[in-house]
Amino acid sequence: MLNKQLEFLVSLQDLDMMLKDIEDVKALGFDAKGIEKIQEAREALLKKIRKPLLSTYNKLQTRYKRSIVPVKDDVCLGCFMRIPTQLITRGRSDQDVILCEGCGRILYWYD
Amino acid sequence: MRVVWNKKSDKKPKEAEKMEVQELVNYFSKDLFVPKLKSKTKAAVLVEFANLFVESKVVRKQDLILELLQKRETLGSTGIGGGVAIPHGRTTAALEVKIAFGKSEAGIDFDAIDKKPVHLFFVVLAPPHDENNRYLPILGKMVEVLNESKNRKRLLNVQTFEEFIQVFEGIE
Repeated sequence: MLNKQLEFLVSLQDLDMMLKDIEDVKALGFDAKGIEKIQEAREALLKKIRKPLLSTYNKLQTRYKRSIVPVKDDVCLGCFMRIPTQLITRGRSDQDVILCEGCGRILYWYD
Repeated sequence: MRVVWNKKSDKKPKEAEKMEVQELVNYFSKDLFVPKLKSKTKAAVLVEFANLFVESKVVRKQDLILELLQKRETLGSTGIGGGVAIPHGRTTAALEVKIAFGKSEAGIDFDAIDKKPVHLFFVVLAPPHDENNRYLPILGKMVEVLNESKNRKRLLNVQTFEEFIQVFEGIE
């Protein structure tokens, strides 16, 4: 089962991207009037995330385009560093939120 | 269909101009093709597509995708009129750009801008920063293609994935 905190962080990043894309999708003709509803959902999500994790997410957002990156073939797709075996085991088990030892980004396993 | 391009500029977004319609074919797949949707409501059809993306191994967590699609509808309906909806979103849970297609003969009330039931659904999922930055061009091209009533009519008649692809390959 996916770590609930990681799930919240993924949802947060998804909402942040949705907010970032609003002007672009509006220009394509889509309805996107409910910005305040998305902001409310974001605020509600922030309350569920542990403060140290949120702080890490926010710091990473200032450095990178995305704070959470996928792991594919045991490689961090943020910095392309191979993930150490012990972290892979912990990451795959979804019990912990794992940070890349190379770039510090939060890692998300796809499989 | 009423909504197409930004009324201020009356121009196609640049992103849409960068993509050939045939390129869209690369993002469809047989396991993301549903000629007869089971759902009868907006909520149910979002669940049906979220499940489809998990079954097709595009994503592994259904609830993350479902939440994304639901939140996007909170922002505003993706029912763009003319019996078409294009639910979409970037998500950390997806590794590549994928488009699912579903058809409802009866139509589903999707709060579309023209208030008419939706028959054709194209659900676009993309990773946060897809390698070639194709997300917005894809959305733009989808809107452009589905703005044409002849394309919508042809899509309403498709029964197989092969026929579906032929429609896109035949669009000029």
